[in-house]
Amino acid sequence: MTITLSGISKRFGDFTAVHPLDLTIPEGSFFALLGASGCGKTTTLRMIAGLEEPTAGSILLGDDDITRLPPHKRPVNTVFQNYALFPHLDVAENVAFGLRRRGVRSVRKQVEEMLELVQLGAMARRKPRQLSGGQQQRVALARALINRPRVLLLDEPLGALDLKLRRQMQLELKRIQTEVGITFVHVTHDQEEAMTMADSVAVMYQGRVEQLGPPAELYENPRSTFVANFLGTSNLIEAEVLPPEEGTSAGTDAGIRVKTAGADASASAGAGTGTGTGSGAGAGAGSGAGAGVGGDGEAALRLPSARCAVEGAEAGTKVLVGVRPEKISLTHADEAGTVPAGHNRLTGRITDASYLGVSWQYLVETPACPELTVYAQNVERDDRLVPGARVVLHWRPSHTFALDAAQDAAAGEEAL
Amino acid sequence: MTTAAPLTGSSSPAPGPAEAPADPAGGAGDGRSRRGLTPYWLLLPAGLWLAVFFVAPLFYQASTSVQSGSLEEGFRVTWEFSHYTDALETYGAHFVRSFGYAATATALCLVIGYPLAYMIAFRAGRWRNLVLVMVIAPFFTSFLIRTLAWKTILSDGGPVVGALKSLHVLDATSLLGLTGDERLLATPLAVVCGLTYNFLPFMILPLYSSLERIDTSLHEAARDLYAKPSTTFRKVTFPLSLPGVVAGTLLTFIPASGDYINAQLLGSPNEQMIGNAIQKQFLNVLDYPTAAAMSFLLMALILVMVSVYMRKAGTEELV
Repeated sequence: MTITLSGISKRFGDFTAVHPLDLTIPEGSFFALLGASGCGKTTTLRMIAGLEEPTAGSILLGDDDITRLPPHKRPVNTVFQNYALFPHLDVAENVAFGLRRRGVRSVRKQVEEMLELVQLGAMARRKPRQLSGGQQQRVALARALINRPRVLLLDEPLGALDLKLRRQMQLELKRIQTEVGITFVHVTHDQEEAMTMADSVAVMYQGRVEQLGPPAELYENPRSTFVANFLGTSNLIEAEVLPPEEGTSAGTDAGIRVKTAGADASASAGAGTGTGTGSGAGAGAGSGAGAGVGGDGEAALRLPSARCAVEGAEAGTKVLVGVRPEKISLTHADEAGTVPAGHNRLTGRITDASYLGVSWQYLVETPACPELTVYAQNVERDDRLVPGARVVLHWRPSHTFALDAAQDAAAGEEAL
Repeated sequence: MTTAAPLTGSSSPAPGPAEAPADPAGGAGDGRSRRGLTPYWLLLPAGLWLAVFFVAPLFYQASTSVQSGSLEEGFRVTWEFSHYTDALETYGAHFVRSFGYAATATALCLVIGYPLAYMIAFRAGRWRNLVLVMVIAPFFTSFLIRTLAWKTILSDGGPVVGALKSLHVLDATSLLGLTGDERLLATPLAVVCGLTYNFLPFMILPLYSSLERIDTSLHEAARDLYAKPSTTFRKVTFPLSLPGVVAGTLLTFIPASGDYINAQLLGSPNEQMIGNAIQKQFLNVLDYPTAAAMSFLLMALILVMVSVYMRKAGTEELV
């Protein structure tokens, strides 16, 4: 059943928990509301459940307006953060609670089936306190699902579980959702959890939806610094839009060009300063930047215009250019000539290299950005890539995105 | 060595002394046994107190109850059990009345106290502590003074009687046999009111503490699972507050059954409770054996009632 939130908002005294919000959650989807604590995601969920009355706006379930309906009259069930199992009732009675309230006489068969679905058939006569966290979680799920709600709301359902169990339950939840085909609305602060499970994610920040879309789209093409930082890690570089190139030839989709401090003017120049004096390299490259950009097209960074979040960006607009750490390749400055033509490139110096098992994490100092993070797959590693080495960072323009520079570049970082 | 021993004990992977296998090392063994004794040392002050002021008097009382003689000739233990049967025969009505009044007062306390405790636990917000202090405030004056104040409040020419008269409430209560002669004082109603008032905090506090422990998300879960507010109360809140109900009723019923001040000050000889009778035997008649036997009977009857009640309430099933 499609949920339509229109202009819904919630104020607690002077504090606005949720700003007027429009959201459509399609039928049968696994929808995640993702955000740091206090972003309004739980309040939004509670308004759908009826546990919180919206200050303004309306909630439609299909075509029915349920805005003013008390929770016990809504065909919606919730899995609570701390499970909220009734401690005085055993597992079977907890699961049967909703059916009994609706006057269903013989509940046994349904309860048994539901406990089978969550693999707790043997636990029917236990009290909740005799179960482990993961088992309690599954009882809470069964208790909600047995009512065949039109929509299942999950409020940080995996928050109390340890990492391994959480992974297991993520898959389990996804399996059950596919099996029962009910719309799931899942509130979480864990971006990985949201990306693993959800078809569609709404990232919330300070009571507003920052961006809405499939996980891959949010990750690959974030439209705000919060999304860029909260979902994974991003390198954000201050830059300025350049006037359109005349007679574009280099990239096929080179929509927008930007200039940044120290974009690599030419491969040979970068290599020259690098090998000469390691410490003075940054300053040297910085001073040479302006000239380099003015010259040939390779000096500037490019990105497709569809990946620029700033509406109608024209020459001189300040932007933050972003690229994900795993999209960047590192090439030692001595081999700068091997960098494929058409790639965006920056020169810098490795300040730190840490071994993460599956990958190496490098921190690279460049004139454009004091600290760029690069993840390199742990195969065929160049032994020269050690702290102090001069390197060329390069990546495809299609992996580049641009955000409005007026925002806080660090938004969403501390939340992790 | 001895100071180090508890450290080695606590750093060992064994979770506690009970599960720890016997340790052959002498030092560590000492440390464990010393730690094992700590609970007993902590029990000592209370244990001594109970022994001196409860167990010893109990034995003294027990021996008194089977003595015979008189104040002039002195009392001797003669294993005379007739005091018990005599007491039951003579004061049976007092026992019945005591338990009747105490049960009524307990029920009234529950009816008055539960909504208040519920309000404090779930609705009082920042006023919670203030209301709790108000519940306990009567304790700042003595029991006797408060009961005397009720005597003034319920007095024949007082505002309460006047108001009830004009509303014809007294006619109704006198039909029920609770009042008579157009007055409140010296009636069963007055005694029950006094008991209810005096023991109300003992009902409210345990109720409050058990209600307050209920996670409000359980209410939300119940409402989310199609329970109306009244059903939520019946199926979730009330069952979870049962430990408080049991504790509150015990704390009210037991002392109320043995109370004699309320009957003394607010009742007439017709409302005498067993406490008044025991007091009279001890202090006026000076028949110590009968008084002791009556005390023992009261204790035994309460014990029986309480254990039946506890079994029925099945508190051990609850959280």
